[in-house]
Amino acid sequence: MASQAAESSSRLAVRTARRSRPDGEPGSGRPGSGRAGRKRLSRPRLVLAGLVLPAFALFALFVIYPLISSVRYSFYDWDGTGPLTNFIGFRNYTYTLWGQGFAGEFWRAIWHNVYFFGISMVLTLAVGLTLAYLLLLVHERASQRYSVVFILPFTLPPVVIALIWAFYLEPNFGVFYDVTSFLHLNFLALPFLGSTTLALPTIAVITAWAGMGFPVLVFLAAFSDVPGDLLDAAALDGAGRIRTLFSVLIPSIRPTLVVITSMNFIGAFSTFDLIYIMEGTQAGPSYSTDVLSTLFYRTGFGGFGSTAQSMGLATALAVVGFVMVVAVSGALIWVQKRVAT
Amino acid sequence: MAATAVTAPAAVSARPGRSSRPGQRRAAVISHGILTLYAICVLVPLLFVVYLSVKSLSGILATPTALPDRIHTENYTQAWSSADLGRYLINTVVVAGVTVAVVLLLSSLAAYVIARYHFRGNQLLYLFFVSGLALPIQIIALPLFILMRQLGLLDTLPSLILVFAAGGMSFSVFLLVNFMRSIPMELQEAAVVDGAGPIQVYWHVVLPLVRPALGIVAIFEFINAWKEFFLPLLLIQSTNNMTVSVGVQSFQGEFDTQWQLLLAALVIVSLPTIIGALFVTKQLRRNLLSGGIKM
Repeated sequence: MASQAAESSSRLAVRTARRSRPDGEPGSGRPGSGRAGRKRLSRPRLVLAGLVLPAFALFALFVIYPLISSVRYSFYDWDGTGPLTNFIGFRNYTYTLWGQGFAGEFWRAIWHNVYFFGISMVLTLAVGLTLAYLLLLVHERASQRYSVVFILPFTLPPVVIALIWAFYLEPNFGVFYDVTSFLHLNFLALPFLGSTTLALPTIAVITAWAGMGFPVLVFLAAFSDVPGDLLDAAALDGAGRIRTLFSVLIPSIRPTLVVITSMNFIGAFSTFDLIYIMEGTQAGPSYSTDVLSTLFYRTGFGGFGSTAQSMGLATALAVVGFVMVVAVSGALIWVQKRVAT
Repeated sequence: MAATAVTAPAAVSARPGRSSRPGQRRAAVISHGILTLYAICVLVPLLFVVYLSVKSLSGILATPTALPDRIHTENYTQAWSSADLGRYLINTVVVAGVTVAVVLLLSSLAAYVIARYHFRGNQLLYLFFVSGLALPIQIIALPLFILMRQLGLLDTLPSLILVFAAGGMSFSVFLLVNFMRSIPMELQEAAVVDGAGPIQVYWHVVLPLVRPALGIVAIFEFINAWKEFFLPLLLIQSTNNMTVSVGVQSFQGEFDTQWQLLLAALVIVSLPTIIGALFVTKQLRRNLLSGGIKM
């Protein structure tokens, strides 16, 4: 709702801007000003181009150019050194998607990414929305104090998060197992990081724990933007707090939910740090935490547990992953826009 | 409409479900209860590291919950001297700080032109920058490595700054353009009538009005640069140029990790951002809540 309003208002601003400058001439809404015509046409444009240029150049050189290079490498049989000579068309792609042995690893990694996304998304929505709503209910000052605490893990480098939890969950001397035996909760003393079924969900939960502060603050901001009239109307209709949350607040912040969902999706498909630090390049135990980025790392740079090493293959793998991410997040945003209008 | 988005944060104080008075107190208790519970889930694992970090190695491994025999402050002095933690911290601060400065300056200029002027290809330019939002770092990692080697920047701090600044451009331009679009055009036109050129309008009219967004960008880019792990792992080899993200790993041996030193080191490298968060969160919250930003 709120963002629709903002969108229409910004469109309004755009329209007024167009009206005031029918000639498309930037920067000068001066009817009948004494400037010479040729100067009006060229100089401001040059200035504006000059303002954009540094950002454009930086982004083009260090993001777009490498992206294009990656796509180019993916069509070659190339080990990372020497000239690109052995053009093999789409063979890296077909090998990634259907090749003997390797495709199995690829699809397993994709599945792990999706699984990871599922867990982190459910947690982000359930915990994040709950916390944001509760922060809205309590007093401003208390709400601020909680926010500071919630944001703390978000500021810590992943190496800190990973090593803290790797230590707590270490099977021989991990604190977690002391706590469970002290509380007589021995059934909870599971090998979280050493089990093929538990390792990936455990790392997903830790990732969500570490990043929760951000969605909470964004949800809180979105909730606060919901017009007061809507809440008053809901209260007049006799809606309680829970009803207000589900029928008014959450539907009102749908655009925010879509943005957070796509950010989560992008994050889940590029997750690397915790898995690499806690489970190594082989993404153990026995590849049960292997995701696209660890498979990419092994394929591109070698390392323990590699089965195939080729830069061309690694980039093809990354391109396929990227296309999937863009397709899904693009579809999400497109559907949201469709539903909104 | 557009003006209210910037100047008047709408309904920040509105509390939903206010009218049901009898449940008010109970609801407050439940809210605080759940929030406190979650705060404990966050704080206990973090504070326990501090607790463990002043114990001896045998105390950490054998009796982690028992009180330490004494406060082993030497863990901290040893951790500080055995790895170049000071160097890692300075490197990280330099990289993150310069990255923020570059991103703020360049992306605000670009966003200003995109948001406030109409020209052919305007939307295309916007999409050009924003396209990076969906880009996993891995896909550009290898060409970046090769590019940096060609530029002779491999294993230097500028290589990290350039990549972080370029990568941060997407989020920053996205946020700033959306924020700048909500500033009423009349303000800009008034300044133009008074004879201000594009640069004066940018500096005196637009920038002061988007300060909340600039604050959010600065905080985020700083945290991102501080936390980034994959690129320093790839681009930096010598310990002299390492950032904390990868440098701390040197404590982790293959078989005999010196846990008391590692834990002390983790506390040391966490302190700057924790302290930063204590000061900055209020600001970040206010900026996010100030409306105008549509995430």
